[in-house]
Amino acid sequence: MSRHAEGDCSMKLKDGFLTHDMNGKQVLVSVGGSDFAGLVRSNETAAFIVDCLKHDTTPEAIIDALAAEYDAPRERLIDGVALVLATLGEIGALED
Amino acid sequence: MPVEFVIRLADVPIGVAAVYGQTKRFCADYLTDETPAFSVEITRADLDAEWFASDYDEQTRNAKDERHDAYLETLALYRLIVEELVKHNVLLFHGSALAIDGKAFLFSGKSGAGKSTHARLWREHFGNRVTMINDDKPLLRIDESGVTVYGTPWDGKHRLSANVSAPLAAICFIEQASENAVEQVEGTSAWDLLAKQVYRPRSGEGMVRMLELVDALHAESPVFAAACTMDDQVVSMVYAALADAS
Repeated sequence: MSRHAEGDCSMKLKDGFLTHDMNGKQVLVSVGGSDFAGLVRSNETAAFIVDCLKHDTTPEAIIDALAAEYDAPRERLIDGVALVLATLGEIGALED
Repeated sequence: MPVEFVIRLADVPIGVAAVYGQTKRFCADYLTDETPAFSVEITRADLDAEWFASDYDEQTRNAKDERHDAYLETLALYRLIVEELVKHNVLLFHGSALAIDGKAFLFSGKSGAGKSTHARLWREHFGNRVTMINDDKPLLRIDESGVTVYGTPWDGKHRLSANVSAPLAAICFIEQASENAVEQVEGTSAWDLLAKQVYRPRSGEGMVRMLELVDALHAESPVFAAACTMDDQVVSMVYAALADAS
């Protein structure tokens, strides 16, 4: 079971990963010299999660923030957050 | 004793302190007497970083001979310069840039997609009307006057470039295909295509500036995607589409 699934595990976006907004659409990029050379286009929910990660936070806190913003069953939010965190983890964008 | 000289790239005078005289000769067409806007110095650490990133085999790496070291200095130099140029509204763009009748067209796409080949087809088709600005890594200045494409000595394996500049008319992403087709690309699709071909600064500040410049480039320049058969027929079609939009 991935560490990121633990609700109270502290995390945030690593230095060197930044977001850019173009006409309200968010993209996540990493600075040159890092391993991840691509860019990640985030949909609205993913963008929200990425924004949460700009400060120290936890999966639980992100889910709570999403629940306050979106009218969806908590289970769906939990799955959504897990998916986004997994993707970010894979590209090396997260730090504890 | 460092070799010191000043070069003018994208209308910016840049001071250089290099290890090898070869580097100054490499930049011969761009030397200037002007006072630099900024200066860069190549250190052993910069050269070692290029060795680390290089494709050279074990034997070459162990030998670390001067010939390769000098070549790697030219790579290190461009990297240092381009890292700083982003603060002067200039981006490095991967692609083949040519000028025809005073307007620049830029062909881009994945490695091996055929951008240099496509530029060659244009040279064969239009003859003397075409000047190669830079076949591999031209510089783009983006400011109030629009987007200008500049030549530099870092011009790819066929060494095709000239110390010239021209206003950018359009950018075309090339892909090989069995049938010819050209279409304009807009919105985030176009932005993503552009962002992927631009040099990424290592500093957060430089990166933010680069992204702002990509925004401006995206706002200014029409972007096209062309599926090409890589023969002469495709040239007229692509030229017509690109010239029409600009």
